[in-house]
Amino acid sequence: MPGVEAVLTHAQVRGSNRQGVIRKDQPVLVDDKVRHCGDAVALVVARDQGTLAAALGLIELELEPLEPVLDMTRALEPDAPLVHEDHPTGNILLAGELVSGRGQAALADCAQVVELALELPRQEHAFLETEAGWAILTPEGTLEIVASTQTPFRDRTEVAEALGLELEQVRVSAPYLGGGFGGKDGVTVQSLLGLAALACPGRPVKMWWSREESFLAGVKRHPARLHYRLGAESDGRLRALDADLCYDTGPYDHLGGVVMTLGLEHAGGPYRIEHVRLRARAVYTNNPVSGPFRGFGVPQAAAALEQAMDLMAQRLGLDPIELRRRNLARRGQRVASGARLDCSHGLEECLQKLAGHQWWRGRGAWKAQAGPFKRRGVGVAAVMHGLGYGPVVPDVANAKIELTPQGKIRVYSGVADMGQGNASTCLQIAGQVLNQGLENMELVLPDTERTLPSGSASASRTTFTYGQALIAASGQLRRRLLERAADLLFVASATELALLPGRVRHSASGRELPLARLAALMQESERVAVGRHRAPVSQERPTADEALRLHGLPHAVFSFATQLAAVELDELTGQVELKGFVSVCDCGRLLNQQLAEQQMQGAMAQGLGYALCEDFAVAGGRVQTPDLSTYLLPTSLDAPDMDSLWVQAHEPSGPFGLKGVGEVGMDGPLPAISNAVADACGLRAQRFPLTPERVLAVLGRPWAAGGRP
Amino acid sequence: MTAVLLPSGLEELWALWEQHPTAMPYAGGTDLLVRLRKGLAQAPALICLERLKELQCIEERGPELFLGALCTHQELLEHPLLRGRLPVLAQALAVLGSPPIRHMGTLGGNLATASPAGDTLPPLYVLGAEVELCSPAGVRRLSLTDFIRGPGQVTLGPREIVGGVWVAPPSDSVRQHFEKVGLRKALAIAVVSLAALIDLTPQGVVRGARLAWGSLGPTVVRSPRAEQALLGGRLRLPELRAAADIVADEAAPIDDLRATAAYRREVAGNLLLRLAQYGGG
Repeated sequence: MPGVEAVLTHAQVRGSNRQGVIRKDQPVLVDDKVRHCGDAVALVVARDQGTLAAALGLIELELEPLEPVLDMTRALEPDAPLVHEDHPTGNILLAGELVSGRGQAALADCAQVVELALELPRQEHAFLETEAGWAILTPEGTLEIVASTQTPFRDRTEVAEALGLELEQVRVSAPYLGGGFGGKDGVTVQSLLGLAALACPGRPVKMWWSREESFLAGVKRHPARLHYRLGAESDGRLRALDADLCYDTGPYDHLGGVVMTLGLEHAGGPYRIEHVRLRARAVYTNNPVSGPFRGFGVPQAAAALEQAMDLMAQRLGLDPIELRRRNLARRGQRVASGARLDCSHGLEECLQKLAGHQWWRGRGAWKAQAGPFKRRGVGVAAVMHGLGYGPVVPDVANAKIELTPQGKIRVYSGVADMGQGNASTCLQIAGQVLNQGLENMELVLPDTERTLPSGSASASRTTFTYGQALIAASGQLRRRLLERAADLLFVASATELALLPGRVRHSASGRELPLARLAALMQESERVAVGRHRAPVSQERPTADEALRLHGLPHAVFSFATQLAAVELDELTGQVELKGFVSVCDCGRLLNQQLAEQQMQGAMAQGLGYALCEDFAVAGGRVQTPDLSTYLLPTSLDAPDMDSLWVQAHEPSGPFGLKGVGEVGMDGPLPAISNAVADACGLRAQRFPLTPERVLAVLGRPWAAGGRP
Repeated sequence: MTAVLLPSGLEELWALWEQHPTAMPYAGGTDLLVRLRKGLAQAPALICLERLKELQCIEERGPELFLGALCTHQELLEHPLLRGRLPVLAQALAVLGSPPIRHMGTLGGNLATASPAGDTLPPLYVLGAEVELCSPAGVRRLSLTDFIRGPGQVTLGPREIVGGVWVAPPSDSVRQHFEKVGLRKALAIAVVSLAALIDLTPQGVVRGARLAWGSLGPTVVRSPRAEQALLGGRLRLPELRAAADIVADEAAPIDDLRATAAYRREVAGNLLLRLAQYGGG
């Protein structure tokens, strides 16, 4: 067809044709069987969009129908078809168990036991910028890929292996992303772009998924089924927990095992519980691919645990905040997962602040003012969230910083900025160490050729890990600049000099050396400094299961948060309106309060969608919500005013005492909202999101039984 | 590339349309452009009506109000005549689409699209509105029920457009009420909506009731039996409950992604209970 440059299938993929991080099971182009509705089978390269659309319409697929695995129950049946015939544990991608004390047997001795079963939906990232990039095979034989990615360095390895290239032949760069939320933590368009570019040497190729394509083929938050039994003494001490978490990971690993493992680690939350059995499974199905999404398995776990906590508080007649406070594992104590907490820990103070907040103290009066057919409730949740990769996979960042020949400070950032603003924070950190303002600074965004490997922009570790590397690099450059300046100014010691914006100054004499002048007198190798940092790992061994350790369990450093939701329910329609929201967060010292608050506000909005309206529906393996008119994100009108408060527990292992803030705000909104709904009506739904229909079904017909108008 | 023609008056419209007989007219484009992108509609050329000043007025003409088809929802919503005389319509416009859509979409477009969930339709039904149609041959008036024949199906002749709506405002004794149940506060397609005009005697007795529901059937749903049930009674829960049961019993909505038929039926009735607020205790 005129205008069609290439039609490619797996036959043209010269490498492994497999992508993935832990288990490499996802093809670039399908070569054995189609495993979900968004699998790519063929790749067409065309001159323009019209030609491309016409060409795609001409493709005829000959498929032999196979029996699909459409839900977790079926996947786990002994006679279920296997999604991957070669996987040793069948349709169970990964399973893990943490047992301590007498495990679930101790429930029998508890004064009170509450039980909860939940079904949580698949959630779509719905970033503003869908998966996109462009690539070119240069005359020198380098495959250059520019992509919207959170993981340029890992992508480079994955693309090289999948396409059969040497690592040095591939360059990946990651300019600012229009949102990621985990949905670009892993390869999306990169290998397809590479394949297309290899087929059209010297010509740029571009791929930019439409919203519908992004919905169809992009990864989602894992739908999950959870079953919790929580036991306590009559004085409110938690004693036993039996938790079972089941994650639908779709047909490919795509970090699903890691997501499940983080969920498992957080299944008992920030509490001391002596006897636990925590079990989790990630299950292969032929549903859309589940993968990383802000929160990474923890929102599911927190949804169950934090509702169980409220059930227990109600059962015991205890204040929900007080029950949580009494059971917190403090620094040096073990949380339910079995690992000792050694990081900075401000959750108790967070709970105190929340208990003193107007929304909590004044909730009785506010609830009493509900109008006709309205009911009001206030609920809370408390969560912790581990930072980084865990004990085995090195959580490393390498920073590079340069005094340019023009005398500017140039930061080479190895971690992508997907909108959370860590690039600004990088400049702030380097600017702080080197005493330079923005006007004297430049930034190079992640690029495997120019910046150093620094891991992913994910796992709440972006600034936490890279920031430390950057402080080291900046400190080194600072020393070098001052020492060289001391030599040039005939000053006895660098300590007599001050590094000022754009210049070095000898305080005693007032003599100054502009940085541009200094740069001109230095060789390139002197003008560049690098720093490396590896985040601390936990020495705890709550499990001997090496697979779980590889998948990240346990973590060493945690951020904490407690959140409050105030809701109003309509008895006639079942609609739930979020009227107020408070977050009190300990993510260590704040380097940039505005960015931190935006993280909490964004998490509140995303969490409110998760709780009330977002449901990426799939039936028979097919997407039922293919676009933004059927998949309902909350709008700005649905989000209430929000209060963000902070407890800044200095974390020695973080840059200037900081801990990660990207995810911890995402874990609490769903249980806080559900607890608020239960506070309003005394009842809970088992399935989420809490659509008006589900809430009305729970409410029944209160007005029919002589209820108040 | 699709050509977009921009007539600045009706005469120019008729002339352009004659030259481009397959061109498709549109106003705000909030429905049509979405359909074109999805491939659900094909238009070799488009005629944008937004410059037809004749059809952008809101004015009192005798006992009636004329609402020009090309008024945006926001213009209508902000107009004192609408707010003062037709609050049932104003309440619907306030929750139609989203702020940007209310600034683009028009009353004529909402009518011509004839969605079962069109937010202006239940109010216009209870108001007994009539639709004015314009063509080169002149102007004609149709009742709303004659104009809307089914979902997406309207009575429009060749080269005929919606010119506006005629409404006789109810008297001051009539309580005007609208409520929409959506799954979020903006950009929500109604799961069910209710428009109600209730005429009360000074003693609070119902002497007239007009009810219309959106998203409960292929077009706006009326219930003469429920209206009848309210007559002569007061707006109290038992009376409203009886009418609600009639609606829940009569209605035959569909299941879709947004809600089940059972939910729609139940809530269609429940929404009547909200009228108790006009009953004075």
